[in-house]
Amino acid sequence: MKALSDRLGRFLSPGALIILMIAIATSTTVALLPTKEVVGIPLWVSATPHYDAYQPLLKTWNEQHPDSQFGISLLHAKALERRMLAGFLSGAPIADLLEVHLGIASKAFLGPVDAVGFVDLTDRLHAEGIYEQINTPSFAPYTSRGRIFGLPHDVHPVLLAYRSDLVEAAGIDVSQIETWDDYFRVMRPLMRDFDGDGRPDRYLFTAGETRSDVIIMMMLQAGGSFFDAKDQPNFSNPLNAGILAKITTWITGPNRMCIDVGAFSAAGHRQRLEGLVIGTLVPDWMAGSWKVENPGLSGKLKLMPIPAWTKGGRRTSVAGGTMMGVAKTSLHIDESWELTKHLYLSPALAEHMYRNTTIISPVKTLWSQHFYDEPDPFFGGQPVGRMYINQAPDVPPRPSSPYTEAASQKIVSAAIALRVYADRTGTFDVAGLQPEAERLLAEAEVGLKKQISRNLFLTPAP
Amino acid sequence: MSKRFNLVPWLFLTPFLGIFAVFTVWPLMHSLILSMQQTYGPGRTQWVGLHNFKFLLTDPLFWKATGNTVKFALGSLFIQLPVALGLALLLNRTALKGRALFRLVFFAPSLVGLPFVAMLFAPIFEKRTGLLNVILHNLFSAWDPEFAWTQNYIMTALIIAALWMYAGFNMVYFLAALQNVSKDMLEAAEIDGAGPWQRFRHVVIPEIMPIAGFVTLLSLIGSFQLFELSYIMLGDTAGPDNGGLTIVMYLYQTGFQTGDLGYASTIGWVLALMLVSIAFIQRRIFKRHEEN
Repeated sequence: MKALSDRLGRFLSPGALIILMIAIATSTTVALLPTKEVVGIPLWVSATPHYDAYQPLLKTWNEQHPDSQFGISLLHAKALERRMLAGFLSGAPIADLLEVHLGIASKAFLGPVDAVGFVDLTDRLHAEGIYEQINTPSFAPYTSRGRIFGLPHDVHPVLLAYRSDLVEAAGIDVSQIETWDDYFRVMRPLMRDFDGDGRPDRYLFTAGETRSDVIIMMMLQAGGSFFDAKDQPNFSNPLNAGILAKITTWITGPNRMCIDVGAFSAAGHRQRLEGLVIGTLVPDWMAGSWKVENPGLSGKLKLMPIPAWTKGGRRTSVAGGTMMGVAKTSLHIDESWELTKHLYLSPALAEHMYRNTTIISPVKTLWSQHFYDEPDPFFGGQPVGRMYINQAPDVPPRPSSPYTEAASQKIVSAAIALRVYADRTGTFDVAGLQPEAERLLAEAEVGLKKQISRNLFLTPAP
Repeated sequence: MSKRFNLVPWLFLTPFLGIFAVFTVWPLMHSLILSMQQTYGPGRTQWVGLHNFKFLLTDPLFWKATGNTVKFALGSLFIQLPVALGLALLLNRTALKGRALFRLVFFAPSLVGLPFVAMLFAPIFEKRTGLLNVILHNLFSAWDPEFAWTQNYIMTALIIAALWMYAGFNMVYFLAALQNVSKDMLEAAEIDGAGPWQRFRHVVIPEIMPIAGFVTLLSLIGSFQLFELSYIMLGDTAGPDNGGLTIVMYLYQTGFQTGDLGYASTIGWVLALMLVSIAFIQRRIFKRHEEN
C-alpha cells in the first residue's frame, strides 16, 4: 500500500491524490446504489399527487392486463418538458403515455398539425362518446387547428376566497356582492392603516400589474378574446383594454385597493395569514394546495363566486390544466389510450383527487358524486366541491395557440406600461386610461403577429 | 533544397485535430448553416437565406435582451470592478489585521455557483418581507417596503447579486497585481513628494493595467453570457416585461422552447460577433494605453 502511495505521490500532489480518492469513493458508491427499474410501458407524470393517486389504479390495471402492464415514473415538470420536446422534435426515446400541464402541451403545437407528437384523439373521443362526457371547455387548451391531442384531467374553475373571519367580524354581508364594483364598495371598510405610516396594511384583493395569472383570469371571465379561429392574436380589443384600465385603477392611485401577494411563496402565505389581503382568485387546485401549504388559514377563509363584471355576468374563470396524451411514436397506442380512460374516467380517481387536492373531475357524469357535497372545514364548512362544480359549466374557453404564453407576456407588458402611464400622468380613472390601454394592446398585438409570422411551420389544418 | 515531410508531429496532433474537428469545427459550420434556415426541431428545416439576420435586426425582443445584457455588462464594469479594486487595495494594506480571513470571506461567494446565488438572492429581493426592503424601510421610513426589485428593477437586482458573487473573485486578480507593484517605484515616488493619490494614479494604475485589462475582458465576456442567474431568479418568462431577458436566455428560449434552432443559431452568431468586437476594441484601448 505504501509502495502504491509512494508511486502515486511521484505523479500527484497530496491535494490531487485526495481529490482522486474522493472521486473513486463517490463513483463506487453511486455505482453500487440500488436503482429502481420501472417495468412496463412507460407513463411519465410530473405532479406528485397524481403519481400517488394513480398507483392503486395502475396496480389494478396491471393485474387485469398482464400483457400490457404500465410502469409510471415521476419526473420534474422541466425534465418532462425537455424530454418530451426532444422526443417530438428529434426522435429521442420518450414514454408512450405522458401527462403534461397545458403550458408544456402547447409547446407541442408549434409545428405543422401532422407533426404534433401526440396522437390525434379527436375521432376516438367522438366515436366512443367521451367528448360528450367531458366538460367541453376543458378540451380547449389541448386542441390545435381543430384537432384534440389530449384527454383533460380537470376543469379548474375559479372562485373568490376571502378572509371570512375579518369580513364577518366587520359585519359585512357578502350576499350583497354581485359585481366587482359591489365587492370593492362593500369591502371598503376593511382597508386599514394599522401603524399610521400612511400606507394601508390591509388590502381588498390580490392583483398587480405583473400578475399575468390574475389579469388573464379576469380577461377570460369578462369574455375577452386572445386568438381568433385561425390562431391569430386578437387580444387588442376595447373589452380587454377596459379590463386592463379597470385593474390599473385598483392597483395604483388614490383609490388603490389591491396588493400583489404571492400565491405560493412563504412570504405570500405569511402575508395572507396576517390578513394583508382579503380576497384572492382561487382555482380548485390552489384551494387544495393552500390546505397543505398554509394550514393556519383553516376556518378563516370562505369561497364565493367571483364578482361579475356586469350584473348577470359570468361568476367564474379558469386557470391551469393538465392532460394525458399518447406519443405518436408509441408501439402501444391502443393500450395507452385504454389506460388513459381507465385513469381519467374513474370515479375512484375523481374521489381521490378531490379529497387530496380539491380538484374536480371534468367528467360531467361524476359531478353528482356525494363526496363533492361534503362540508370542508378549511373553508368554514362550505361544500367546496359543489361550489366549484356549480361554476364548472360556465368556465370560459381558452386559446390553445402555442403563443398563448407569449400573448400573456405581451399583455402584462402592456399592463406595466399602463401603470407607469397612470402614475406619470396622474390618470386614475377608467375613461382616461382606456385610450392608452387600447394603444398599448394594439402595439403588443402587432409585435406578437410579427413573431408568429416568422413560424413557417405553423400551417393551418389541412 | 526541399524539406522532407515529417509525419510524426501530425500523428501526435491527430487526436486533438480529430476532436477539434468533430466537437468545434463541425458544430460551428453546422450552426452557421442552421442560422440560414428556419427549423422546427432538427427534423424539419427550410432554407431562408439571410432572413433570420434581417429579422433579428428588427426583432424588439432581441434588442430588449441586448439592452438588458449591456446594462448588466456596464454594471459589472463600472460597479463590480471598482468594488473589487477597492477591496484589493484595502487588503493590500500591511497594517490591516486578519487579512487572510478577509481574503477568504470576500473570495468565498465565488466558490458557490450562480444557481445558488440566484436561489439565495430571490427571497432577499422579495417585496415587504425581503431582507433588503426590510432593512431599507427600517433605516429610512420613507422607503416603500413594497419596492419591487425583481419586477421593476430586475437588472439592478441581478447586478447586486453578481456583485456579491464576483467582487471577491476579481479582487484576487487585483490583489495579485497590486502585490507585484514595484516597491522601489512607490518609495521613489514618495521621496519625490507624491501623495497617496498621485502614487496610486501614476504608479499603481499603470503597473496593474495589464491585469485590469484582462479582468475587464473576462467580466465583459462573462456578462454577455449571463444566463443562469436571470433564469433561476425569474424563471422561463424572464420577468415582467422581459426585464430580465438576456441574449443567451433569448437564444435558449428560441432554440429549446420553440424549437427554432435556426434563429437561435443566428442569435448565437451575432452574440459571438459582439464578443469578438468587444475583445478587439478592448485590446485596442489597452494597447494604446500601454504604448502611452
